[in-house]
Amino acid sequence: MLKIKFLAAVFFVFLIITVASIYLYSMNKQPDTQLVEFTAPFVFGRFQIPENNPLTVESVKLGRHLFYDPILSKNNKVSCASCHKQSLAFTDGLALSVGVSGKALSFNSMSLVNLMWGPRHFFWDGRASSLENQALQPIEHIDEMGSNLANLIVELSEIKIYQTLFSQAYGELSAAGIAKALASFQRTLISSNSRYDKFLRGEVSLSEDEEFGRKLFMAHPDTKVSLRGGNCIDCHSQFLTSGFASVFDGFSNNGLDEDINLAEGLYGLTKLEAHRGLFKAPTLRNIAVTSPYMHDGRFETLEEVLAHYNGGIKRSKTLSPLIIEADNLSDTKAEHISLNLEPHEVAAIISFLHTLTDESFLTNEAFSDPFKKGELND
Amino acid sequence: MIKPSKIIGLMSVVLLMSSIIIWHNTLPKQITLRFYPTIGDKPLELNNARYPNPGGEGDFTIRDFQFFISNLELINNRNNYTEHESYHLARFDVGKGYYDVIIPDVSVGKFQQLVFNVGVDRKANGTIVVAGDLDPNSRMAWNWQVGYKFLLLEGSLFTQGKQKPLVYHIGFNESYTRLNFPLNSNTVSNDGTIELKVDILALFNQAELIDMNEIPNVKFDPEDVAKIANGFQNFISIL
Repeated sequence: MLKIKFLAAVFFVFLIITVASIYLYSMNKQPDTQLVEFTAPFVFGRFQIPENNPLTVESVKLGRHLFYDPILSKNNKVSCASCHKQSLAFTDGLALSVGVSGKALSFNSMSLVNLMWGPRHFFWDGRASSLENQALQPIEHIDEMGSNLANLIVELSEIKIYQTLFSQAYGELSAAGIAKALASFQRTLISSNSRYDKFLRGEVSLSEDEEFGRKLFMAHPDTKVSLRGGNCIDCHSQFLTSGFASVFDGFSNNGLDEDINLAEGLYGLTKLEAHRGLFKAPTLRNIAVTSPYMHDGRFETLEEVLAHYNGGIKRSKTLSPLIIEADNLSDTKAEHISLNLEPHEVAAIISFLHTLTDESFLTNEAFSDPFKKGELND
Repeated sequence: MIKPSKIIGLMSVVLLMSSIIIWHNTLPKQITLRFYPTIGDKPLELNNARYPNPGGEGDFTIRDFQFFISNLELINNRNNYTEHESYHLARFDVGKGYYDVIIPDVSVGKFQQLVFNVGVDRKANGTIVVAGDLDPNSRMAWNWQVGYKFLLLEGSLFTQGKQKPLVYHIGFNESYTRLNFPLNSNTVSNDGTIELKVDILALFNQAELIDMNEIPNVKFDPEDVAKIANGFQNFISIL
């Protein structure tokens, strides 16, 4: 009898240990995920994906759904895609974006492209230090999407597709998962098939005008050696055409306003006076379809942008010395700031900028609205 | 019977060997090259501090200062240490105002000489390969047909109430300059740090002083580039 009791006790303890082990194992179990395979041109250089957010097929799929789902907003009417439309290279065509409050926001919607390269600080004023950190800010911003994250998580957890997608991507539904998934989807938005890319790969030649524009784009003018230039390269890197990645090298004061009207810009993040009025130099990929231009969308056309650099520069304390100094005439220095480009040179630079449009990126189905494709039941 | 002198001799050898082993194991296992930027004898203060124009009227400020150090070597009589993908972009706008190059797993006591170059060697300067801090999409790249800026110095010159931009972008293969420094107990601290001074004035205080008013920008004019790059020889010294 005693022996049976003893055996029963042993069995009972064994059972508890087994159940507890299975429970603990299932709690800590990472979902089986598959890394995304992608290609990018060698000339883009090193890319960065955070170690704690590997780029998986599952996280990208979840991110794509979240990106296009207005459930992320307080009134269920605004999604990320409301201000980042694929056909406009993920911009919205407005000078200043409008969210749930109906008020114009402070900034022009930024194009989302090649985000694994270029500046490591996001938003026009660099206030987010990672894509993950960036992703939740519009969701919670009172004028953008106006959501409460705790409420959003409850809402999402009641929807079957999100139960599945979160479980597959991260094993659980959390705010961190929302941020990671949105960041992952955005990392896949790679544009590398424009005419400029094809030219770099040796597949096409540029027209005479485009090639003339490319040379001007890539040159800082130097009248001492008769080199004419558009000086674009001083802020927009040669292959990515974005701002530079290192530290805050990708931010510049490009002479939009005098001191009295100078917006904070990067100063808001660093609190350094030298950074007042500095904004992120955006990528110029697909620039022909991302009008209007500048952080506040003040210029409607590329002609207006070029006119700004060609005589419209306003002085301020933090204005880039490269902009003041870049002049294609030798005798106008320090008086009136202008590139002093000829009209045909301006036109050539604009022709080159048009070679940065990547139709296959603007129409790539992998980046499109999954809800329109009936992929909900995947 | 062993003679006491033999025992003392043996003990001395053991003691000597132990000392050598202990001394060897306590030697720092990495070398840190620490670069301090200066304007003459004054530490460089970016943006705010004004310094007198070395060759003429007015005062100047520095907004940005970066340069490449490349192909670092440590030399002794028998074998040398050569750093792989040795391209370091020295910059001073982050951290504590100095720039460190750390060479891990190297004991300083073994070497007599430190060698590195200001600039980017001809081969790397003619390619778009990403190596070390070389990045063809960076601010230091002109474009693939021209190569890299070896040194970037930007700021303003103030003369008689007027502000003039200063832009010195110094590149070209001819400017690549090899520097070497002796390594001994005077030049290396106990923790393996070698402190170096980077004097911006050395670029302008040459046999013929360079007036920033006369030459406020240098980019592609070979004569002007050579004038500034000539200063690379005296640009860096051991503190």
